[in-house]
Amino acid sequence: MAKIIIDGKEWEFEEGMNLFEACTIARGGEKLPHFCYHPGLPVAGVCRMCQVEIEGVPKLQIACNSTVRDGMVVNTRSERVENTVRQILEFHLLNHPVDCPICDQVGECALQDQYMKYGLYETDVDVGDKVMKHKAQAIGEHVMLDAERCVLCSRCVRFTEHITKTNEMGIFNRGNHSEVGVAPGLSLDNDYSMCVVDLCPVGALTSRDFRFRKRVYRLSSVDSVCPGCATGCNMRIEYADGVIYRQKPRTNLAVNEYWMCDQGRLLYKHVGGDDRLEEPFVREDGELSPVGWDHLWSALKARWEGLGESRRLVLVGSPHATLEELYGLKSLLADAAGGRVLGHRLDGTEMDRDDGFLMAADRTPNDQGARRLGYEAFTASELHDAGGEDALLVILDNDLAGLDEAAAEALGSYGAVAYLGWRENATSRVADFVLPGLSYAEKDGVFVNKDGRAQRFFKAVDGPRQAREDWRLIAELGEIFGHTPTWRAHHDLLSELSARLDAFGALAGGIGEEGTLLDGDSAAKEVERG
Amino acid sequence: MAEIAWALGKILFMLVFVFTVLVVMIWGERKGSAFIQDRIGPNRASIGGVIRLGGLVHPVADVLKLLFKEDLVPGAVNRFFYTMAPFVVMVIALVTFAVLPFGDAIYLGDKVIPLRIADLDVGILYLLAITSLSVYGIVLAGWASNNKYTFLGGIRSTAQMISYEINMGLAVLALLLVYGSTRVDAMVVEQGQLLFGFLPRWGVFLQPLGFVLFLTSVFAETNRTPFDLAEGESELVSGYNIEYSSMKFALFFMAEYASMIVAAGFISSLYFGGWQVPWLDTITLREHAGTFLGVSLWVGAVFNLLFAALLWKRYRRERGLLGDRRELEPLVLGIVFFILALVCLGAVVIASPWNLGEQGAAHFATVVQVLSFILKTLFFSWLFIWVRWTLPRFRYDQLMKLGWQLMLPLGLLNFFVTAAVVLLAR
Amino acid sequence: MPYSIHGPQAATGGKGSRMRGAELWYLKEIFRGMYVTARHFLTNVFHMADMPTLQYPDEKPNYGPWLRSRHRLMKREDGTPRCVACQMCSTVCPSDCISIVAMEDDRPDVEKRPETFTIDLLRCVYCGMCVEACPCDAIRMDTGIFEIAADSREKFVVDLDFLLNNTTDGVKP
Repeated sequence: MAKIIIDGKEWEFEEGMNLFEACTIARGGEKLPHFCYHPGLPVAGVCRMCQVEIEGVPKLQIACNSTVRDGMVVNTRSERVENTVRQILEFHLLNHPVDCPICDQVGECALQDQYMKYGLYETDVDVGDKVMKHKAQAIGEHVMLDAERCVLCSRCVRFTEHITKTNEMGIFNRGNHSEVGVAPGLSLDNDYSMCVVDLCPVGALTSRDFRFRKRVYRLSSVDSVCPGCATGCNMRIEYADGVIYRQKPRTNLAVNEYWMCDQGRLLYKHVGGDDRLEEPFVREDGELSPVGWDHLWSALKARWEGLGESRRLVLVGSPHATLEELYGLKSLLADAAGGRVLGHRLDGTEMDRDDGFLMAADRTPNDQGARRLGYEAFTASELHDAGGEDALLVILDNDLAGLDEAAAEALGSYGAVAYLGWRENATSRVADFVLPGLSYAEKDGVFVNKDGRAQRFFKAVDGPRQAREDWRLIAELGEIFGHTPTWRAHHDLLSELSARLDAFGALAGGIGEEGTLLDGDSAAKEVERG
Repeated sequence: MAEIAWALGKILFMLVFVFTVLVVMIWGERKGSAFIQDRIGPNRASIGGVIRLGGLVHPVADVLKLLFKEDLVPGAVNRFFYTMAPFVVMVIALVTFAVLPFGDAIYLGDKVIPLRIADLDVGILYLLAITSLSVYGIVLAGWASNNKYTFLGGIRSTAQMISYEINMGLAVLALLLVYGSTRVDAMVVEQGQLLFGFLPRWGVFLQPLGFVLFLTSVFAETNRTPFDLAEGESELVSGYNIEYSSMKFALFFMAEYASMIVAAGFISSLYFGGWQVPWLDTITLREHAGTFLGVSLWVGAVFNLLFAALLWKRYRRERGLLGDRRELEPLVLGIVFFILALVCLGAVVIASPWNLGEQGAAHFATVVQVLSFILKTLFFSWLFIWVRWTLPRFRYDQLMKLGWQLMLPLGLLNFFVTAAVVLLAR
Repeated sequence: MPYSIHGPQAATGGKGSRMRGAELWYLKEIFRGMYVTARHFLTNVFHMADMPTLQYPDEKPNYGPWLRSRHRLMKREDGTPRCVACQMCSTVCPSDCISIVAMEDDRPDVEKRPETFTIDLLRCVYCGMCVEACPCDAIRMDTGIFEIAADSREKFVVDLDFLLNNTTDGVKP
């Protein structure tokens, strides 16, 4: 350990730690002014903003490229530092077009923030006309580049070089005419291209999807988890007036670090998509027709009672459903009316490619959660065998018919099919009862990712007026099939399942910011209990 | 028969007089208050989009509006008394006129027609009797409306009237002592003489304290500011007449003004010589009738010409400012005044020198005296308006204190001193 | 005076519990008041033109250039809106009456322009902060039109077309 003094106060850090990080801690979380430093990228030291005064060193040093040494005395707030930062900022702004009115970065722009904090000068430099660079270039499917706004921090270049290793971007020309851009003949089309938008401290790289759609200071955000694949990248859903505008990665060093794939970012489009199930449907005279909830419940009850004395319930879960819903479905309906839980997914369906970074082959968010609850994969023939004219199939957000033709045929062998989900698909189209639920952005819940890490996500926006929270629908179904749930509120589900099931004992103490590893913690718990 | 015809004629004259002055007073109240408060006041209603007469059309429009409004009767009222109340108020305000002499008399040969409706010996007592009845209308309205505000308004009004009637009676009693008659016309005749050779022998000079007491009491009797606690908008919304609408409300409204005109008539009759023209008694008027007529015609011609010229100037100045037919008003009025001036001039030229003859001179004197009465009444009507827009309303305890603790002792004092003086002077 | 809630002080007009002479009759003050009102009355009768009242629908007040009246949007030389939909006005608006939807513009020197620009004149408080905030001098409140009337609420919500073609008719020459 090294003892160092930062701003007159003594601290202990590990020898060799990045001085920038040390200063951030010493300044109570307030970062030094910077453009180019990013904890997820190699240090470049090009922006020269994070100047600090180190005693014994005659010139100011940049903190990001220094390391902590024993006995160091660092000053981050002296007048000399502030003057230097102000002047460096002035250089940064020399060629900046100041076209904030048409820039999407307004509100989250490092240049704006730091000018308001460190700048506020009357410029002394008269260099004539600004150097004009290329504006508004679409450099990839998702990214817009405005070279004039760039401060040449090289974060995007380092990202493509070290993280994606695709090397599309670079800085071209020299001196005043330096300009960021993509290499000739290439375009920024890798799966993580939108990360450069997050990385860019200014408005040089902006999202084409989000372009001009909303001012960022109008957005609210909630913590969420990407439902796109088994990795479970942490993210924030940013929304305004009940509409989701974008999804951004949330730092979780244990899962996705700082990054997120483009596919995951754009998943929000399904939430407000055309294929939402917005009303309850009941099949009447062979046609699915929209009805009110009261009608649906009475029709479902009538159908259930009409299945005869030997009627039975077959349940299919889903790796897309939350842990609570899967538990609710299993605990409530498996006990009711001779229910049989078939499983949560079809066996042998095709997996996507695993890119070795964040995108997992399994494109479902909660496969592990389902498995730990006792759900298993099943085959189309099993689905068919479980059927019969006296069986009612309840499917929880699982497009069986769309995934497998045999499964689609198997659905026909059931007396009635109730589908509970939020998107219209092949299965919902053949179901007899459609119960509209809520999407991941409209409800709270827990997903367990491929590493067995349980992670919470929270509600961002309201769902369609007629849609209901899935766990409430499951509870209603329980009432119809003659079994009243023991849980009354959503949080009851999680506390009940963590108390009842050893596999989820780790969740008893709540789920942390970075998620809770089920295996590691449950093992420790068992030791404790023993 | 002729007697009845003459009586009806006098009644008709009085009604026309009261209702004309009433319209002018309502206009004067609105316009006068506006000028006192540096506003312009009503000026929008017009005849044919041209004639506005500075808002004089408004009262007509108002009455028309109120006539055509729905006559709403609230559910919980006592219908009989509710309907009766406005009529009581209006009728009592009008019948008080009966004993008021508005001129000396018309002499037709040897037939003398006194210019008052009722030739009552009790005269002034009739006045006291009738004015104390007027409280019934207000109490009935307040009680029959079945509303706490109207009720409070009625109660207040009763208490106030009872308090101030005594003071009024005392002031009038002192007058009786001075003039030695209960007849109002006799009192007016008495006031035609001169006091100390230069002052008209008006009641106000003989009974200055009595005049102040009478004036104050009359304000209270007519429910006018500063004694309009029966209305008291700030506490009682609008007092006894809240539940009334359309013409019933208009009756209350007009009765208030009618009773003011009556009061003004009595003030001028009892204390300001009534129809007497100061310094010009009937005989002088008759002797110089021709001269007076000539002079007044000349003066009339000059003033009419002046008005016509002013209006022409105004027409020239304001042309094009409004951009519609309202601009023509000064022109139209100017022409009217010009024609009047021509008539006056024509009369001067054709009839000069004037020899009215004895009969004509008598009629001329009568007309002048009636005009004198009208002018005095108009002035005191204006006084009511003037006071209203000057003084704030009394608080109720102040009102009672003023009436009982101050005015009553002063009234008694005035009465006894007058009695003593009259006794000694005899 | 058991019915006085203010004590004798207030009940006698704040002049102590005793008043004397003419003051007791309020006479002096009455005459003074009558004098004041008569003065006003006579002044106004003979100098009607000097009355401060403005005959409003006939005469319009001239508020001068500082009047904040109904908004208008300025145009570029080619007739397109000067507005770049930066949302500064809607951000600063205290009554939240401006709503803008931005869209991409093909011209490289413009990039961004409003697709819709609506102002709810009923919500607007005419504070003029939008004008202050506008970086492009695109919105102004200098039409001089302050008489804003319509027969339905919807008509008070004015759109881009209306605002662009707003006149300055209300401004006095």
